[in-house]
Amino acid sequence: MTCKKALENKSGILTNVENFERDSVEAPRYSCALAGVYGTTLGIRGGIPILHSGAGCGVGQLFGTLYAGGESAGGNEGGTSTPCSCLVEEHVILGGEEKLRNLIESTIEIANDDLFVVTSGCVPSLIGDDVDQVVDEFRDKAAVIHVNAPGFKANSLEGYNLFWDAIIDQLLPDDAGDIEEKTVNIFGIVPYNHVYWKGDLLTIKTLLESIGIKANIIFTQKNGLDHINRIPSAEYNIVVNPWLGVRAVEKLKEKYGTPFIKFPNVPIGAKQTAEFLRKVGEKLSVPSQTVEEFINQKEDWNYRLMEYPGDAIILVRPNSFYAVAAESSYAIGFTKFLANELGYLPDIIQITDNPPVEVRNEILDEIKNNLDTVVEPDVVFEADTYKIRKNLEDRPFLFLFSSSIESPTSIEDYNALHIPISYPIYNKSVLVKHYAGYDGGLTLVEDIVSSFVGPL
Amino acid sequence: MANKHDKHHRKGSCKRNKIKKILDLDKDTCPNREQRANGTNVYYGKASELLNDAKQRNIRIPDRKFQQSGGCVLNFYLSNRVTTIRDAVTIFNAPVGCSAGSLGYRELYRGVPESLGRTNEYNSAWLTTNLQQDDVVYGASEKLRDAILKAEERYNPQAIFILTSCTTGIIGEDIEGTVDEVQDEVNAKIVPIHCEGIRSRLVQTGYDAFWHAILKYLVKEPEKKQEDLVNVASMLSYTWQDRLEIKRLLGKLGLRVNFIPEFATVSDFEQLSEAAVTAPICPTYTDYLSRGLEQKYGVPYFLYPSPTGISNTDEWLRNIAKYTGKEDEVEKLIEEEHKIWVPKMNAIKDEFVKLRKNGKKPTVLGSLGQGRLVSQMPYFDELGLATPAAMAQDFDDLLIDELEEIIENNGDFQIMVNTFQAAEQANVTTNLDPDLTLTCPFQGGTWERDNNVTRIHSLRGDPEPTSAQSGYAGAIAFGNFLLHAFKNKSYHKTLAEKTEKSYKDWWYEQDNPLYYLNEGK
Repeated sequence: MTCKKALENKSGILTNVENFERDSVEAPRYSCALAGVYGTTLGIRGGIPILHSGAGCGVGQLFGTLYAGGESAGGNEGGTSTPCSCLVEEHVILGGEEKLRNLIESTIEIANDDLFVVTSGCVPSLIGDDVDQVVDEFRDKAAVIHVNAPGFKANSLEGYNLFWDAIIDQLLPDDAGDIEEKTVNIFGIVPYNHVYWKGDLLTIKTLLESIGIKANIIFTQKNGLDHINRIPSAEYNIVVNPWLGVRAVEKLKEKYGTPFIKFPNVPIGAKQTAEFLRKVGEKLSVPSQTVEEFINQKEDWNYRLMEYPGDAIILVRPNSFYAVAAESSYAIGFTKFLANELGYLPDIIQITDNPPVEVRNEILDEIKNNLDTVVEPDVVFEADTYKIRKNLEDRPFLFLFSSSIESPTSIEDYNALHIPISYPIYNKSVLVKHYAGYDGGLTLVEDIVSSFVGPL
Repeated sequence: MANKHDKHHRKGSCKRNKIKKILDLDKDTCPNREQRANGTNVYYGKASELLNDAKQRNIRIPDRKFQQSGGCVLNFYLSNRVTTIRDAVTIFNAPVGCSAGSLGYRELYRGVPESLGRTNEYNSAWLTTNLQQDDVVYGASEKLRDAILKAEERYNPQAIFILTSCTTGIIGEDIEGTVDEVQDEVNAKIVPIHCEGIRSRLVQTGYDAFWHAILKYLVKEPEKKQEDLVNVASMLSYTWQDRLEIKRLLGKLGLRVNFIPEFATVSDFEQLSEAAVTAPICPTYTDYLSRGLEQKYGVPYFLYPSPTGISNTDEWLRNIAKYTGKEDEVEKLIEEEHKIWVPKMNAIKDEFVKLRKNGKKPTVLGSLGQGRLVSQMPYFDELGLATPAAMAQDFDDLLIDELEEIIENNGDFQIMVNTFQAAEQANVTTNLDPDLTLTCPFQGGTWERDNNVTRIHSLRGDPEPTSAQSGYAGAIAFGNFLLHAFKNKSYHKTLAEKTEKSYKDWWYEQDNPLYYLNEGK
């Protein structure tokens, strides 16, 4: 390990904020716009995607979105159960509108669902189907929206943004109605693409409940459409991502005047969680005593727990360098937690979700200005798996936090212990596990220490 | 037994001459299965009627009003095979979503321990041209060129496979033109495969498109005949142990196996022309390759049976022996193997006898692919299970003879042909209510039921001996595996009770799985 060499290079942050990926690319850690809409819809209980696309788009995303999102089966609406117009050449010539019309009609008849998300892929976009017109025919029969999401338009993460554009523009009413105090909607956690979405969302809900705020997390909740319909009545919107869900909260502000609170990441561990709760509490006029009492009570046990692995950490892997290759939100949250609570040293942080160029300096600043260490990591925006691996060569890190793609060879390639945190994660069944909140930070400590600990 | 053997005993392709067609390997790609073999994936009714329709070339693929995403020519049948080839790089000439399922393949194969013969040198590298809005307007040949050069520079591979997509098909990309231009600049052999999702309703067209490209670009003129080499085109639906069992059995005959395409090297493809025979694991999968190798290089082949079950394995080995001059050795091998495995098989059969209710054999429903259909039904019969109905992903006239023979031997039965149509399968399963359902678990909650359920097969990287299905060891392993399904149904039963059904009640209450056909069958 060339620890010294790497340290000598740390005179300033190496970065490449302009490197937005539009070229050919090796194994990028995202799928297409259609996939993002598909996964997002499947995150809603009672939501069903209706794919207007080639026949492989649904089953392709069973492997590329659902299995990749913590080995999740498709459920009643996913995988090979997803309605699909299965377009072939004759539709390319004659148009696919009639096929889609039949499909929407039959899906409403047969499916046990109440939100129908017509998702257009590449084919209808290229052949010029008037999908909006077909969808319009059904708007008075059921909650039907159309998301135009050809794969060449954007990646799966932007698909989440497109989904919310369609919900807000096509489904939500013009007037907000009565505003319910002390309620918020949560945005910025993308089902499946943010692999620990289920646990993170529920954790945020529980945390806010503890200080008297009702959080509408929409996903994971029974009767998802009801939760969507409740969006306009929130007092605030909260977004926990530097770019996903941001357009949604801006649109909701424009449409209903709902103010929003923006966090760059899902709060991981005690420090970030306290910061999150204080800011939300302040904005929603929760008495600071309530917030501080809750934080004190949680911190008391949290930090007693943090003492238990102390001997193992100090004896075996103290002050270790680490590398992160993850989506923006988790890259920020993990980097801060490891540097600010565990005493670890950030070596290189690679942001893999190809965020828009405009938010990259924000991401960079968030990482750069919030680390409690003299070590400054390189922060690289990279979507190409080959380059991600090249960037990891010849560095001092002992831990690698990334997708499961690196899992089998992390030791042999980098001599680093591997912890899967970001899409795709095929080697974990993710049900309740999460990294958000107090328990989330402690879970991360468990993961890290468990990766090296044995008899001392 | 002797009579039955004779009946199954075939001289490979001879009986099939009536449907023999010349493959045109000069073309960029194969014809679709619809045209080449009169295929369908929409049928429910008597197997005898399907057979008659097939004989009269009266098979059609009407449009369903309600259809589910069952897969396209590219995804997932083809992409998951091509990306496992060891010293090659795959390029998806497509928007970024078409390749997302391939993110898992590197890990998948690494699950097999090196001690079982998995090579360590394995990256499963692939790129996508990552087509953007501008590319579909102005064309994407530069991006393909760029991806090819990246693949060459990064990995120096023996071959670069190019997989096409709906998008490149519709915008009319000249793939061959780009390949011609860039081939001189790289050492790797560039192999374009036409698997545009929109080209065919039958995903099995993807198999043919792949083999067409292999035959056209990779297989070399034979330098010498390798009389002890047996080509076996293995499906990812057969496990690592199946490979080991096949290797073991053929090894005892002094033969070597050339497994393609999964986890093969490019040189394994190059030598396909030198083999003594091409043997099937799945006939619908191997068909195009087998015919192509015979037509171009005179490599004989047979398509039936596959090595599923004891008697099928006997016949499979005998067929191979015939082409490799091992007729005497094979009888000795079969005798030896039977001593080991037949008593174990009998013990399993006894267990299934105990499961009979009112003297009736337990019923089993489930099949996957017409290839499995024709090889598994006799195996279930061997086990003492009844198959009152069968589900096949596809049907075409490549297997008419085999279907006829099954009807002769087993009697007529209901057959459903569809490619992963979950609603239709849920309807049939509910209405027929078999004692055991074999499911391919990609389809939501249709496996949640108050009766026995298990998987139809494991997959590719699974190194566990209990997951095997091929050869003698596989026949026993699978038999025991099926027995396990009768011993505890708490998981799917509990979920059936505690979670919502996939479809509204009316769908299960009516008995026509093809309710949503635009026209009658």
